[in-house]
Amino acid sequence: MSTLTALPDLKTKRSVEISHLIKEYPNPYGEDFRVVEDFNLNIQEGEFISLIGHSGCGKSTVLTMLAGLNEISDGGIIVGDKEIDGPGPDRSVVFQAPCLMPWLNSFQNVMLGVKNVYPHATKAERRQIVEHSLSVVGLADAMKKFPKEMSGGMQQRVGIARAIALQPKVLLLDEPFGRLDSLTRMELQDVIIDILAREKMTAMIVTHDVDEAVFMADRCVMMSNGPKAGVGEILEIGFDRPRNREEVYQDPKFFEYREHLLAFLEQRAHIKGSTRTFSDGDFMGFTEKEGADLEAAAAQEATSVA
Amino acid sequence: MERHVHSAAVQSSFGRLEHQPGNTMADLPKDKIKYGLLKFIDLSGFKVFDPPIRLIFGEDPQKQIRDIAKFMLLPILFVGMCIWMWHIIGPNHKTKSGAVPGPWTVWNAYGESARFDEREQEKMEDFALEGAERIERISLVKKQLDEFESEAKKLQKISQETEEKGNEEQEKRLAPFKAQMESLTAKIKTAKAERKAAQVALAEKVTLGEAKPEEMIALFAKHSEANTADSEAKALIKAEMDEIRSDPPQEVQKAKLAANKVADEVQHFKKRLDILENSNKEVSKEKILTTIAEKKTELAAATDPKEIAKLSKSIAIAESNLAKADEKKLAPSATIFWQTKRSLATVFVGFMLAALIAIPVGIMCGLNKIVMACLTPIISIFRPVSPVVWLLIFQIIVGAFFLPDPAKHPLFVTLNNEYWFGWIKNPFAFLGTNPAMVFSACTVAMCALWPALVNTALGVSAIDKDHMNVARVLKLGFWQRLFKIVIPSSLPLVFAGLRISLGVGWMVLIAAEALSSSDGLGKFVWDEYQNGSSRSFANIILACFIVGIIGFFLDRIMIVLQKLVSFDDGSATA
Repeated sequence: MSTLTALPDLKTKRSVEISHLIKEYPNPYGEDFRVVEDFNLNIQEGEFISLIGHSGCGKSTVLTMLAGLNEISDGGIIVGDKEIDGPGPDRSVVFQAPCLMPWLNSFQNVMLGVKNVYPHATKAERRQIVEHSLSVVGLADAMKKFPKEMSGGMQQRVGIARAIALQPKVLLLDEPFGRLDSLTRMELQDVIIDILAREKMTAMIVTHDVDEAVFMADRCVMMSNGPKAGVGEILEIGFDRPRNREEVYQDPKFFEYREHLLAFLEQRAHIKGSTRTFSDGDFMGFTEKEGADLEAAAAQEATSVA
Repeated sequence: MERHVHSAAVQSSFGRLEHQPGNTMADLPKDKIKYGLLKFIDLSGFKVFDPPIRLIFGEDPQKQIRDIAKFMLLPILFVGMCIWMWHIIGPNHKTKSGAVPGPWTVWNAYGESARFDEREQEKMEDFALEGAERIERISLVKKQLDEFESEAKKLQKISQETEEKGNEEQEKRLAPFKAQMESLTAKIKTAKAERKAAQVALAEKVTLGEAKPEEMIALFAKHSEANTADSEAKALIKAEMDEIRSDPPQEVQKAKLAANKVADEVQHFKKRLDILENSNKEVSKEKILTTIAEKKTELAAATDPKEIAKLSKSIAIAESNLAKADEKKLAPSATIFWQTKRSLATVFVGFMLAALIAIPVGIMCGLNKIVMACLTPIISIFRPVSPVVWLLIFQIIVGAFFLPDPAKHPLFVTLNNEYWFGWIKNPFAFLGTNPAMVFSACTVAMCALWPALVNTALGVSAIDKDHMNVARVLKLGFWQRLFKIVIPSSLPLVFAGLRISLGVGWMVLIAAEALSSSDGLGKFVWDEYQNGSSRSFANIILACFIVGIIGFFLDRIMIVLQKLVSFDDGSATA
């Protein structure tokens, strides 16, 4: 039997604690529609979590609740030592669309939040923060450019710069590369990984892309299918940081992690119940019997649903 | 957002395809000028001039020529055809104020209006001239006057001659009708006499009992019928004669017109001479000065206390007159150009008032559903109200502020003062602001308010949700949200609304001016309609064109502004 829930490492500080999170949408007949139910997750400081699952399962709902943009129906989220209540600059978001203000250039777009988050900083200091975060994402030469003069990738870079300029505790990425071509996507993945390595931020990325989920994260959180989605399985990714794309992609473990995620998405995503964690070394983690049991359970659930 | 990006991408890829041959020389200054011009044309909305410019720069001449033919020449031809039809049909339609003026008459009316304006300027200039310049001007005017007078005499003579000739011709044309008339009158006379005789005879028979009284009545009825028939026949001939008389030969009309034109000039130069010699500012000041000097010498010699009192009083009055004379200026006459300027000023004031009210209220409506719900009934009820009704209401309500003497109201005193604080030249003095103008501006504001308000509310409430999410994550405060996100993103729609507002305002203004007789194009049209001279019909049509052309340019200006503030399709961003 493989290890189940790994004991929390007491030396590393917990950055985000999501407990018994519930999201309900009321419907007019009084039967509330529960999208997310009993979602539990602890994230260590500096950890990178990827959230993967079928579309519509509530990944983005969890992320927007963590960002404070979506109301929490029940349960709670603690960031640092405080329970969150609405959005705040300690959790900045990179949205799927760059969401830049088309009437502001990249510098002004980033400055928009900086002004608010550093009310006591001098003008020069603020300027420095903006310039720094823009150069971190590789836009040192495009500070005066307006969104429509930039490609989608460059716009998303500004979006990332805007998020990191606030120096948040947690960086939330809501399918940030969903609309980009694969080359640009890889570039931006590297940008994010570099930034996180340098700034030691905690991060969570919602994605559809299995490769992305494995390559970027320390732990992949697989969500079971909605409604009433929760954490299905957690896969710990054992690659060292900093990661080199070529090395990671050629590592046989990469394919095994990938297989695990795909197998979850294809076979086990509909199984609800206690969360299983798989760490390095026993990733596929099932004995033959367990596998057979799971298959049977799946079949049973399928008939009961029918 | 995605849609915009997409369309921009498509456009740019098209652009690349189109400009491929030029790409290698894109850095040439010639190309820079070309694309600069094309951009300017696109911005100002005169896309029609795109092909000629490309043609000048030698880009695909065949295509450009085809485009010019399709989108420039054909429209020009069509407009030309419309004017030609106007030229043919107009003068054939007779109205009670003469034939409908053709394009040529209207063009002449414009020339005359322009000359009228020039004359007013000349007179005002003459009034203010001083010293040697004035003397010089007098001799110049005298010389010109002489020339015009001799020419006027010549033209007068020619006109008389042609008129005589024309009269003869007319007489010739009238002769057959006159003969007809004479014979008809004679016939009628004899027929009448015969009928009278028959009546007398019948009356005698009735007294003798040989005929019944009913027969007598029938006879009278017949008689009156015959009378009306006769007068109708006469009227027919008379109408024909009138038409000939009212339509003198072309040459006569032309000669008369030419003579009148020069006679007008003569009149004008006489008036100028009079101004220069008698009522000029300097002259009138000198006159006052001489009287003061005379009185002062008299005062020095005077011994009688009553006499002294009288003299010193009149000196004091003269001195105050002297001070006033310095500020005096010839009042401008209401030329069509002055009226246009006044209309523009009024519409500008009204439009600004509308924008000042509509934009903040619209923003509040867009931001807050309760405010929107509160204002919806008010907007719905007052929006359809006619400008005429508003004008009357404003005349009463706003008029109350200017009581008892509007001319002494601080607003008008300030606006009509030639100099502010004694030395800043007031640029609005020439407008002659009065209450009527304020009422018109208020009416314009009231009617122009709604489109701007509704569009602003729409623009604010239709803000991209993503942008609001960004604002929430960045924790922007209310004012920052308003000025950094809400207003910039709703600006394109706000300006779209303002554009409609300005169009509505300009249309409403003309009606308001006509009704409130506030000086402006509307009053000009109304006055022309009322005075009904031979030229007024042409002037009305002229005003129609001026109103139309100005409206067109106002709209263009708003389009340019709208393009400047919209970030997704325009070429400018800041």
